[in-house]
Amino acid sequence: MCPDPQTTSPVTNPVNPASPTSPMSPVVGLRPWPTQGFTRVPYWVYSDPQVYALEQARIFQGRSWHYLGLEAEVPEPGCYKTTYIGEQSVLLTRAEDGSLHAMLNRCAHRGNMVCREAFGQTKKLYCVYHAWSYKLNGELSHAAFQHGLRGEGGLPTDFKLAEHGLRQLRVATLCGLVFASFSAEVEPLEDWLGEVASGIRRVLHKPLKVLGYDTQRIHANWKAYHENPRDSYHANILHTFYGTFGLSRQSQESGMVLDQHGRHVYFFTKAGTEKTSADYQATASNLRSHNDALSLEDPSILKWQDEFGDGVSVQILTAYPSFVLHQIANSLATRQLLPKGPGQCDLVWTYFGFADDDEATTRRRLAQANLAGSAGLISVEDAAVCEMMHRAISDGASGESFIEMGGRELDSGGASKLSERAIRNFWHNYRQDMGL
Amino acid sequence: MPLISEQHFRSVENLVFEWARAIDENRVEAICELLVPQGRYTVTSRFNSDRGLPMAIIDCHSAAQLRDRIKSMRLANVYEPQHYRHLISGVQIVAAEHGLLEVRSNFVVVRTLELDGDIKLFASGQCQDRVDISQGEPRFVQRRFIYDSRAVETLMIIPL
Repeated sequence: MCPDPQTTSPVTNPVNPASPTSPMSPVVGLRPWPTQGFTRVPYWVYSDPQVYALEQARIFQGRSWHYLGLEAEVPEPGCYKTTYIGEQSVLLTRAEDGSLHAMLNRCAHRGNMVCREAFGQTKKLYCVYHAWSYKLNGELSHAAFQHGLRGEGGLPTDFKLAEHGLRQLRVATLCGLVFASFSAEVEPLEDWLGEVASGIRRVLHKPLKVLGYDTQRIHANWKAYHENPRDSYHANILHTFYGTFGLSRQSQESGMVLDQHGRHVYFFTKAGTEKTSADYQATASNLRSHNDALSLEDPSILKWQDEFGDGVSVQILTAYPSFVLHQIANSLATRQLLPKGPGQCDLVWTYFGFADDDEATTRRRLAQANLAGSAGLISVEDAAVCEMMHRAISDGASGESFIEMGGRELDSGGASKLSERAIRNFWHNYRQDMGL
Repeated sequence: MPLISEQHFRSVENLVFEWARAIDENRVEAICELLVPQGRYTVTSRFNSDRGLPMAIIDCHSAAQLRDRIKSMRLANVYEPQHYRHLISGVQIVAAEHGLLEVRSNFVVVRTLELDGDIKLFASGQCQDRVDISQGEPRFVQRRFIYDSRAVETLMIIPL
């Protein structure tokens, strides 16, 4: 059970922290990064197939934790979920004793996919090809005809079942979220998340209940999407719904929290706390997103309850490299970002509520699901801008982005939402992990 | 099931086609007139439906909410200029009771992006509809689009 949520206030994080990891060996054969460093991103990094292949090894199978799902998705012994870390098919299981396990969804024999279904419940993991059978924790229990038949065939006598289990990953949970890692070195999950874990504890303070799924297939590089929830600058400009209906505005009381290494971030804002100022009024009137002509015939979709008791109407939490947790009014969801080649990513939205939600609360969450996801009245344009950007930069030959909103350093911009600090910090960590 | 007259079948089929044609001809607002005021319009995946999960990517509990969504599409949302083309087949009335008909049909929507003329098979699936024929012109009491893939291509801003 999750500890009680802490009241968070905006924190300015320390200057330019040292990375605990040793730098990756430099990459031979790729173009050099612009000399300005993390305030510029060369556009080839979004489309180069060599970069993409290196990311699978150095990030997705590297020193990071990767979201697999909710404990509530594998509630009972025997339950399993098939998912991915990067492009690698991965199984999450709950064993007979209730423990969680993560392993490659790849038979130790000759590489067949062991589980073909998204979710299921089973007594053992059984590969159909040659009937190799594994326990729920991935240990090989039986290989068909291991001892041959009538004295002929069979595996060598020195064959040891214990050496041929499904390759295991480290598993860790936090407040009902399940993460896994290929790395034996990465620090424990809560240490890795640092201060940003407080945003998780704030929201996920009791058992969860899954409401449904939505996969958004985005034809852009995964990094273009990952930058988006780290980008507080765009939220009240691109998304008309936020500004016009007051769920989120730059003039509201708000803040940003990063962990000490800048890998992760969450933003929060409080509807109804607007402070007007002359400079805000001047800018707001020019924004297409502040559209006074847009009024809803049925505004009930915007009615929300302050269920966490702190006035925060929107909290967007992003963990490196591929996880988002959102609270938008009373809509709660995780978003799992799955790279599918340099030019595509699948964003898997999992909507949930609390196990003890009453019917009215569940209906409100479902109604506000209209605001998010593939058909989201607020969020639909994130996929559009990612795809348009991907096409505009894909000559692969030239150009770089400019990321100086809030300043040029890792701590520039402090806790202000009018800052690209969280994006600079992403690229800083990415370059370290990749050796670029 | 009571015998459904050929005339009733044709008028129900026409309703299903009318909805699709309004969207395809960029008269999207017109579909709100084909739904009764307290009608329900839902779009969800087979992935959710098969598992009994209630979440839907579009869930309008009235024609007013559908009008709001379309207004947002026109005034607020950002997306690449695009059109749909519906292909509909297998319209069947599977049950009838007290002037309410249960209707099933299949749909495929082809999406065209205007800028480069890219054509893509955007969605396929089944409609599970409830149609009221007791008030003269048939109207949808409920339209439920269940798309086959668990994934949506980029975004769904024009309603199906």
